[in-house]
Amino acid sequence: MSVVSLIAGASVLVQIVMLLLLLASVFSWYYIFIKVFTLRRARRLAADFEREFWSGADLNELYQRAVGARRSAGSLERIFEAGFREFMKYRKQPGIDVADMMDGTRRAMRATYQRETERLESSLSFLASVGSVSPYVGLFGTVWGIMNSFRGLANVAQATLGHVAPGIAEALIATAMGLFAAIPAVIAYNRFAGDINKLATRFESFMEEFSNILQRQAH
Amino acid sequence: MTAGVYTTGNERVVSGVLALAMHLLFLALLIFGVAWQKREPQAVVVDLWSDLPPMPAPKPPPVPEVKPAPAPPPPAPKVEVKPAPKVEPKVEPKPEPVPDPEIALKEKRERERKAREQALAEKKKREEEALAEKKRREQKALAEKKRREAQALAEKKRREEQARLAALKAQRAKEAEARRLAREQAEAQRKLAAAEAAAQAKLIDEYTRRIREKIKRFIVEPPNLPGNPEVIFAVTVLPGGEILDVKTRRPSAVAAWDSAVERAIRRAQPLPLPPDPALMSKFRELELVFRPKE
Repeated sequence: MSVVSLIAGASVLVQIVMLLLLLASVFSWYYIFIKVFTLRRARRLAADFEREFWSGADLNELYQRAVGARRSAGSLERIFEAGFREFMKYRKQPGIDVADMMDGTRRAMRATYQRETERLESSLSFLASVGSVSPYVGLFGTVWGIMNSFRGLANVAQATLGHVAPGIAEALIATAMGLFAAIPAVIAYNRFAGDINKLATRFESFMEEFSNILQRQAH
Repeated sequence: MTAGVYTTGNERVVSGVLALAMHLLFLALLIFGVAWQKREPQAVVVDLWSDLPPMPAPKPPPVPEVKPAPAPPPPAPKVEVKPAPKVEPKVEPKPEPVPDPEIALKEKRERERKAREQALAEKKKREEEALAEKKRREQKALAEKKRREAQALAEKKRREEQARLAALKAQRAKEAEARRLAREQAEAQRKLAAAEAAAQAKLIDEYTRRIREKIKRFIVEPPNLPGNPEVIFAVTVLPGGEILDVKTRRPSAVAAWDSAVERAIRRAQPLPLPPDPALMSKFRELELVFRPKE
């Protein structure tokens, strides 16, 4: 008895459940790979920008470059760009309070920061859903399959293990598939959440430090 | 570096391919790598016999097929005896010195004529001889041929007769062999049946003994039994060993003993029965005899 015959012999509902789980697994892996690529690049871009920023480059020059290459800019660069733009706008208005100026700049940076982290976290919720729901879906398929197999058992005069075992094996395939979809999704979710958290902390500390630099310039 | 925070199409394709490849790999592993249920070899029931039934005797060696007598050799190609090419010795008359042409001419003519006659006669004689020779040879060849044919025919007849005899003999031998085989087989079957019957009887004995032993274990003997009362019970047994009915076929004088035995019989179920369902018929109705002292 091979896996294929087990799947082919299952009832229609169980087969639908298995198909659903297979799709969930494929998509979760798709997103896992995408996230791996994206997060790796985000980290690299952040590191590049930080290096450049702290090497004492001219802020105006950095700003110009960030505006010029908006599509290829990293998250940190965008935050810097938003903050610096806001700061320049305030500076053009005469007689504005430094505290207000800094507040506005920080708000602008925070808005961009929110948008960026949201972008980084996109499709992470899908992984979380797959990780938490697919075991239940698989379990549902199993319970249904076992129910059917026991119902078939009612027609048999002498019940032996041989009558029940194939049905149960068929049903259990659904649970196996649910776990197969869920485990990588959960692991990836935890891993990515940690990575994004680290990146977010990095962004926040940059925001604070950049605010300090701007505040010094404002005086 | 160029894509910034956006996911590129390239990455999407790569991710999709990787995800599919992963699943295919896993599926292949599942299908080819995991032997879910090994097929156990089917159990084979083998009967062991201490005395083997005789093997079927080897077939009598095939009767050598008697080939039909070889066809008489084709008649030898007739040797056409050709008469030797006639050599016409040309007698070249020698020119003689002619003293007189007239006489010489005459003589010459005379000689020529003589020579011609002689040659003609010779030729005739030779032809006759050749003819006679040819005839003789032909006759001889004919006689030879006839003789050979007759011989071949006789040979053929002889061989056919031989083959017929041999076939007859072989046939007889075969028949005898077949008869012997049948006899042996019947013998073996009889032996087999006897052995089976004996085994069955032994099994029945064995299980009857076991049933009695089991029931005996459950008998609680009433105290102060007088003598050795014998009670016979007829027990109806179900295929599982359960007891359907217990009847007293012939009660003993001591009612306490009878009831003790009946209780024991009822408590002894399921009775041990042979695993072979074919023997069940022998156990459906049991007649059991119980005595306190035996």
